Amino acid sequence: MSSPVPAIQIENLGYAYGRAEAVHDLTLTVQPGRCYGLFGRNGAGKTTTMKCLLNLLRPRRGQVRIFGLDPERHEVEVKRRLAYVPDQVAFYPWMSVRETLDYLASFRSHWNRKTEQDLLDRFRLDPAQRVGSLSKGQRTQVALIAAVCPETDLLVLDEPTSGLDPIVRREFIETVIGAYQEGNPGKRSILVSTHLITEFEGLIDEFTIVDHGRSVLSLGSDHAREHYQKIRARFAQALPELDLKAALRVRRNGRELELIANGGGAELLERLRQHNPEALTTESLTLEEIFVATLQS
Amino acid sequence: MILQINFKSGMPIYLQVVDQIKAAAAAGALRPGEMLPSIRPLAEELRVNRNTIAKAYSELESLGVIETLPGRGCFLTENHTALRKEVRRKLLIAEIDQAIVQAHHLQVPRNEFIELLHERLDALDDKRRANEDHKEV
Repeated sequence: MSSPVPAIQIENLGYAYGRAEAVHDLTLTVQPGRCYGLFGRNGAGKTTTMKCLLNLLRPRRGQVRIFGLDPERHEVEVKRRLAYVPDQVAFYPWMSVRETLDYLASFRSHWNRKTEQDLLDRFRLDPAQRVGSLSKGQRTQVALIAAVCPETDLLVLDEPTSGLDPIVRREFIETVIGAYQEGNPGKRSILVSTHLITEFEGLIDEFTIVDHGRSVLSLGSDHAREHYQKIRARFAQALPELDLKAALRVRRNGRELELIANGGGAELLERLRQHNPEALTTESLTLEEIFVATLQS
Repeated sequence: MILQINFKSGMPIYLQVVDQIKAAAAAGALRPGEMLPSIRPLAEELRVNRNTIAKAYSELESLGVIETLPGRGCFLTENHTALRKEVRRKLLIAEIDQAIVQAHHLQVPRNEFIELLHERLDALDDKRRANEDHKEV
């Protein structure tokens, strides 16, 4: 069985602004139909990586492929098959929402009018309003509508929710992604970069955490939540001597102990049980907690 | 039927959906022939990927719990026993064994474990009855 051509393939990507290295030896693959998260703090190299994918920057090292194509040599073909929402969206301020969408649609061979109308209604956007007078959240909503309606095979979102208030963030990101995937389930892929991980928790299938331009961790979300555990134990007396080297992080406070396990949680639990704790609980880490734990260790 | 995803349970999201729909069916919160929510609205409500819900539904379908009627949606099957009796027993035994191991570690003795089992079966019956009463109102 031949495996499908990945939506995105990044191999040993390197990029530097002058002598400042922004991305170093980054490798990741996004399979068709997946929603892939690129997590990192500000300045970690997320935007640079995306710009290399879109041929806005030329990789210094390694290579990037979109649907198996080199975005530099097949720029038109690649851009035809993807939609991109940059972190700062800019429109012509004098155009109305309607004119803006028509203008953007004119560059596309296909545009789903029904999806457009649905999303305009759901976001309560007035097509007659000038985009110059929209709030930042509304401008992002227009940009996302424009990215979803061409129904491309790949959607690239760079920090789509940063700078928006929490209510707006909660409301629309899953709406947009749901609308996008609905048309061709299992085929449409998404690459989204963010440092606001919580609101993407349930949407992300797989992720890579980047830090200082390097990939620190790549995992499937379900697997990650199964793997990373927070274990809390409370003992009757002061803490016994314990071998806890397997833990990623240990916090002690009197009779209490909090561990973060990166795999090997069952063994650690067993070791704690032998000392008859008064209380022993365990829970999985959320993706955001995994992000924080990974970058702090 | 109201589903709730817990990202801290360590259980894959699609399996949480599968288990909760199975539980709802067992408790009568979802009745045979009743329609399940469509994939996209449910995905949006739970704030999860629509593919995750699709995966859960196809798992439920392969288990014979639900059936998909093209163009109409997914429905709880009238008699969801697509699996043969031995297979069903085998699947259940695996789950019971796990609970027994857990009981051992939590120092719950045999008689207490069996008592608990009765209690939980009764609780499920009560829930089912409550859902039935609700239906009559």
